[in-house]
Amino acid sequence: MEDLIKELKLSIIEALNLEGMTPDDIDDNAPLFGDEGLGLDSIDVLELLILLEKNYGIRLASPKEGQKVFQSIAVIAQYVTENRTK
Amino acid sequence: MRIIRSIDIPSGSSLACLYREHKIEYPKFFKMDTLCKLGFLATELLLEGDSDRFVPREDRAVLMFSRNGCLANDINYEKTMGDYPSPSLFVYTLPNIITGEIAIRNKYKGETSAFLLEEYDEERIRSIVEEAFQDTVTTSAIVGWIDCRSESDWTCKAFLVEK
Amino acid sequence: MNKRVACIGYGALTPVGNTPAECYKAADEGRSALTLHTGTFGCANPFVASLFEDRSAIADDYTFFDSLIIRAASQAIESAGIDPASGRVAFVLSTIKGNIEFIGKQDISLPASAARMARYFNNPNPAIVVSNACISGLAALVQGRRTMLTGKYDYVVVVGAEVQSHFIVSGFQSLKALSERPCKPFDAGRDGLNLGEAAAAIVLGNSAYGWELADGAIRNDANHISGPSRSGEGSYNALRYILREAEIDDISFINPHGTATIYNDEMEAIAIDRAGLANVPLFGLKGCFGHTMGAAGILESIISMMACDNKTILPTKGFENLGVSVPVQVSAAKRSCTGLSFVKLLSGFGGVNGALLFKKGGQA
Repeated sequence: MEDLIKELKLSIIEALNLEGMTPDDIDDNAPLFGDEGLGLDSIDVLELLILLEKNYGIRLASPKEGQKVFQSIAVIAQYVTENRTK
Repeated sequence: MRIIRSIDIPSGSSLACLYREHKIEYPKFFKMDTLCKLGFLATELLLEGDSDRFVPREDRAVLMFSRNGCLANDINYEKTMGDYPSPSLFVYTLPNIITGEIAIRNKYKGETSAFLLEEYDEERIRSIVEEAFQDTVTTSAIVGWIDCRSESDWTCKAFLVEK
Repeated sequence: MNKRVACIGYGALTPVGNTPAECYKAADEGRSALTLHTGTFGCANPFVASLFEDRSAIADDYTFFDSLIIRAASQAIESAGIDPASGRVAFVLSTIKGNIEFIGKQDISLPASAARMARYFNNPNPAIVVSNACISGLAALVQGRRTMLTGKYDYVVVVGAEVQSHFIVSGFQSLKALSERPCKPFDAGRDGLNLGEAAAAIVLGNSAYGWELADGAIRNDANHISGPSRSGEGSYNALRYILREAEIDDISFINPHGTATIYNDEMEAIAIDRAGLANVPLFGLKGCFGHTMGAAGILESIISMMACDNKTILPTKGFENLGVSVPVQVSAAKRSCTGLSFVKLLSGFGGVNGALLFKKGGQA
């Protein structure tokens, strides 16, 4: 799980161009959206959907479903562990 | 119409360095394409030190001119198109996103427009800007000729003008 | 000097009509060319769109896009009866992606298309391109009106067009903005837009007759580059500006953007309500033509002028049950109106919104 969390953080930093951030800057349990945490927006959700599909073979039906998964890095990691096909 | 201030960003400069040198804090900058980064930075430099920044206003327009628009970024999106088309690249495939980024950063609720001309034509740009002042709410404008031929080759001139 | 800026000639080509009259008839009868396309343009996923079947060019060295703008401009120039080669005529082109289907293969810059169009008509002036996302056509009309008011030109030919491609379709799919069915503007069941192809043109001139392009405004939400403001800020501010001296009672209808995305239609309803126009009927045209991007502002203005000429409020194809939070008066069926004046709205990426006010002129 530790490795997956680090891997997720690195790929999210790259995919979303979170310049100057390192995995240590992202709290595993901090919210990804809204003013607290990373402050991601609707386009970022769409990029995260692609990231899950590309890296883990997970296809989420809609951004709405994505919102449930993209609550925090810890929630994403849990979801990936349970649903990955690659 | 009179020009209050003007700025040039030389072709090929490091935009990330410029961002850091001027101690700007706006993480969204790194998500932008080169055209938007240029428009954003040029506006930052033009307005640096203004005391009334970030107060919402409707009286300032953003009018951007170029030949190539967002073609440099179109090529980046096109590379993703057959595989996993990238939404964050696609949103920058519109020549006017540069005006939107400047409006969001500065809370400008006035007119924003993007024009494309075959070549840099000062007289033409001047007349379009003067015509924009027919809108009685508009009293000043950020005006730019920002033409990205590629991600490292551009012309970037920007002006703050008043009616 | 007569400063009334009037629309003195129209041109329009869509998959449901090769003239403004044919396009109007399709909208009046509720016909559309919105169909499911599988494999078109090499797109991996199917999509619903309104696309031209005949994609021929006017000559070998013109692309389909360049041909379309020339055909639409020719119709408008002919109906206005003006000489396009005159130095007193200016051209304004509205498009978002122009010849993007040829990316990497030839010069696809937008001003190159505008220049080819001006050259085709032997016009000596440099043509300008207005590319302001989905409000481009409306913004081009605003620009044309301003140019007319300077008195430097006798006529401005405003032309808008969009051709669809793998580039545009895949992009809208990546944003999850497309519906997999024919779109349902303002409806409770709406779930996205359909793309469309079209070309349209209006010749502006100084005349006491015909439709007056009475005012126009462009305002930004200053909120987000791809999502509209929840409070309809920019659209409301644009409306407020054009209505500052208008006779609200004369406004027969509003022709909104009405893309049938969840957020756009909700935002427009809020803006219309905030501007005090919640009781004014509105009808959307995207269910007939799809979202024709750079052509939309010009095409939809032409259809609206023709509707007013017929004292008609057109139906909103695809609309059944109101699905916005404000009780705006979306027209489901055809009905009559005085046809004295109407408002055209558009909104687009980059947070940009536009509003136009049209007023009827005297009879020639």
